[in-house]
Amino acid sequence: MEITYRQALHDCLREELLRDDNVFLLGEEIGNFEGSYKITAGLLKEFGSKRVVDTPIVENGFVGMATGAAMLGLRPIVEIMTINFIVPSMDQIVNHAAKIYAMFGGQCPIPLVIRTPGGGGQQLAATHSQNLEVWFAHVPGLKVVAPSTPADAKGLLRTSVRDNNPVIFLENLALYNVKGEEPAPDYTVPIGQAKVTKEGTDLTVISYSRMAAVALDVARRMEQENNLSIEVVDVRSLRPLDHETILSSVKKTNRAIVFEEDWRSYGIGAEIAATLQEEAFDDLDAPIKRVASLEVPLPYSKPLELATLTGAKQLLEAINELAPRRRRGKQ
Amino acid sequence: MSEITMPRLSDTMQEGTIARWLKKAGDEIKKGDTLAEIETDKATMDLEAYEAGTLQQVLVQEGETVPVGQAVARIGSGAPDKDQGAEKTTPAPQPASATQTGGDHTPTTDAAPTVFERATERDADEESTGSKTAQDGSGKTSKASPLARRMAEEHNIDLRQVQGTGPGGRIVRDDIEDVLEQRETSPAPAPIPAAPQQETPTSTAPSEAERVKLSRVQLLIARRLTESKQTIPHFYVSSEIDMTDMLVMRQTLNANIGEEGVKVTVNDLIVKACSLALEKFPEVNSSLKEDHFVRYKQIHVGIAVDAPTGLVVPVIRDANTKGVRSIAREAKALIAKARNNKLAPVDLEGGTFSVSNLGMMDASQFVAVINPPQSAILAVAATRKQFVPVDGQPVIRDLMTVTMSADHRILSGATVAHFLQEVKQLLQNPYSVLG
Repeated sequence: MEITYRQALHDCLREELLRDDNVFLLGEEIGNFEGSYKITAGLLKEFGSKRVVDTPIVENGFVGMATGAAMLGLRPIVEIMTINFIVPSMDQIVNHAAKIYAMFGGQCPIPLVIRTPGGGGQQLAATHSQNLEVWFAHVPGLKVVAPSTPADAKGLLRTSVRDNNPVIFLENLALYNVKGEEPAPDYTVPIGQAKVTKEGTDLTVISYSRMAAVALDVARRMEQENNLSIEVVDVRSLRPLDHETILSSVKKTNRAIVFEEDWRSYGIGAEIAATLQEEAFDDLDAPIKRVASLEVPLPYSKPLELATLTGAKQLLEAINELAPRRRRGKQ
Repeated sequence: MSEITMPRLSDTMQEGTIARWLKKAGDEIKKGDTLAEIETDKATMDLEAYEAGTLQQVLVQEGETVPVGQAVARIGSGAPDKDQGAEKTTPAPQPASATQTGGDHTPTTDAAPTVFERATERDADEESTGSKTAQDGSGKTSKASPLARRMAEEHNIDLRQVQGTGPGGRIVRDDIEDVLEQRETSPAPAPIPAAPQQETPTSTAPSEAERVKLSRVQLLIARRLTESKQTIPHFYVSSEIDMTDMLVMRQTLNANIGEEGVKVTVNDLIVKACSLALEKFPEVNSSLKEDHFVRYKQIHVGIAVDAPTGLVVPVIRDANTKGVRSIAREAKALIAKARNNKLAPVDLEGGTFSVSNLGMMDASQFVAVINPPQSAILAVAATRKQFVPVDGQPVIRDLMTVTMSADHRILSGATVAHFLQEVKQLLQNPYSVLG
C-alpha cells in the first residue's frame, strides 16, 4: 500500500495523539482551517481544542508556550507554517528550548517537536522559499531530522514525539504529495541514523529531505543509461549526523557529492565534506563536490527561480564531472 | 583561464581518446581553431576552440582516453603555465642573462623583477639538489589524490612514473589501477635462466613481440564482431552472377560522364541492386528485437571500408530511391572520409543491410560476419572470365561469386536464395538498376 508524505504525517500525529494524552498540537491555522498544508485535517474535530490548539500569528509566543508546557511534562508538537516564519521564535528555540535542560542541571527535559516545511520552487519568492535547517543543526541541545520518504516521515516523527529533547522536524513543500510505501504500524526510525537508499560502487551522493529523493531518481537513471553505479545516502538526521554510514560509503566509493537545496556556503554540505576529509582522507580519490542552490535571495520570476535552485540537472553535471574513468559497477 | 573539456560528440559517447594534438602549449588560439582530433567509439572528430587565448597546458596526452566532461587542456591569456603537470616536456630553462641581472643590472621594466625572482628560485633549487638536471623527468610534479597515494604506497608504485588522468593531471585511483592491471597482464621480468634450462625447449612463444594498443574503434569492432559471430546463428548462401552485360553498361555509363563526373563502380551497382531487392524482400531489411521482428521502412545500405584504423561501415541512406550516380557520388565521399578518419557518427548509423566487397583484391570467394542488428551481409568476390556453356558451346563470360551471410533467426534458406535470385536477376539485366 502506498501513502503520501502528507498522509504519513497526518496518520502519525493522530496515532500519537491517541497513544499519549500528554501529546498536543499547536500552531497557526491547524485547527479550524485544518492546516495550511492539511496535515492536521480532521484532528480538531476528533481531539477537541485542548489537544489541537489554534494560535495567533506570534511564533515566539507559541514556541515559548510550547517550551513551557514541555518543561511541565506535556509533549507539544508545534507546526510552524513554513520554516521562513520560524525566525521570530529563534530566541525561544536557541536560547531556551535547546539550553534549559543543560543550564538547569537536568531538572526537566524538553520533549518538544517543531514541525516545519522548507523548500522553494513554488514561486513564493525570497522570504517564503528558504532552507534554514543548518541554523538549527548548528546548535547543541537540538536534534534536527529531515526525512525524504513517507515511511521515514512517519518513523522519524514518531521517534521525535517520543524523544525527550527538542527536535526540529524538517518537511518540504514539494514532498507532501510524494507517494511511497506505507510502513508497518508503529514503525520507528532512530534519530541519527542515515540510510543507504541505493547501493553503488562508483561514487556516493549524500543528501537529505527532498534532494535525497531527487538524488535517488538521478542515480537510478544514470545506472540504466550510463552504467554508472551510484550509491545514495539519505542522512535523514542532520543533528546528530550519522558519521559511520557516510564514512563507510565513501570508503567504498572514494568519491562523494553532497547534494543540498540550501545555500552552499556554511551549509550542510560543508559539514559533511569536512567530516569526510577529517575521517576518510586517505580514502578520497577526488575533492568532495557540493551541489547546492545559488547564493542569492530567491527571485520570484519562474525562469530565474529555476536558474537559482539546484536540482537533478546540476547533480547530473556534477556526477559526470566526478565519475571515475574505470567503472566498478556491474557490467 | 578556462578549461577545455572532452565534449560529448554523440549520444552514446562516454569517453574519448585524444588521437592527435594539433596545437601545443604556448600556441595562440583563435576561436574556431581545431585543437585536437578526438577518437570516439564511432568516429574521429575535431575538437574546436570556443574562445581565443593561449593554450596554457595540455592535460591529456595523445592516445589517452578520458571521460566526457574531463578537462583536456587549459586556455588563458599570457604565457603557458609553469607547472606543466602532465606535460612530458620539461619547462624551458630561464634565459641565463636573467640570472646574471641579479647583481649588476637594474631592472628596467615592471616584468623584469618577476623574471629575476624566478631565476633565483631556480638557482636555489639547483644548488640545493646539487644538480643541473633536477627538472629532468624525475622532477616532474606528481599531484595525486590521497587514495592514490595510499594505494601507491601499498603496492610499491613510484608515483613519478604514473601518468595522472584526473583534473589538472592529478593521479587518481583509476591510474593506479591501470598500473596494477598492467603488472598483472605483462609477464613478470623473466629470471635469467641457468644455462642448462636454456637448452630445454619448454617455451615455444616467440621471443620478441610488439604490443600495439587497440584504438577505440578497433576495440568496438572487436567487441561487436565477437558478439555477432558468437550470438547470431550465421548461415551462408552463395550465387554466381553473370556480370558481362553489366560491365558493358557500366563502361558506356562512365564513358559519358565528362571530366568532373564520378565514375560508377561495380560496387555502386551492387548496392543499388541489393536495395531494389530489399524493397521486394522486407524480411531481409529487418532486425530481431526480443520477441518481434522490426521491419524497416527505409533501406540504408552500409558499405564496408578498409580504413586505416580498422573496418568501418558508412551508410548510404535510402539507396533504393537514389540513382546509381548519386550512390556513386555518396559512396566516393564516404570512402574518402573513412580513409581520412573523418566519418561522423551520423555517417555510420542506421544501416539496415551491408555489402562487403573484396572483388578488387582478387578474392575468389569469402564469407562476411553480420553487422548487428542487421539480418544479413553480402560478400562480393572478384569477377573472373570463365568459360560458360551457351547452346552447347563454350563462351567466355564475366562471372562473380557472391555469398550472403544471414541470421537464421530472422531468415530462412529459401528466403535468402530467393533474395539472391532477385539480386542476380537485377544485375544480369543492367537497365533494371537504372530505374
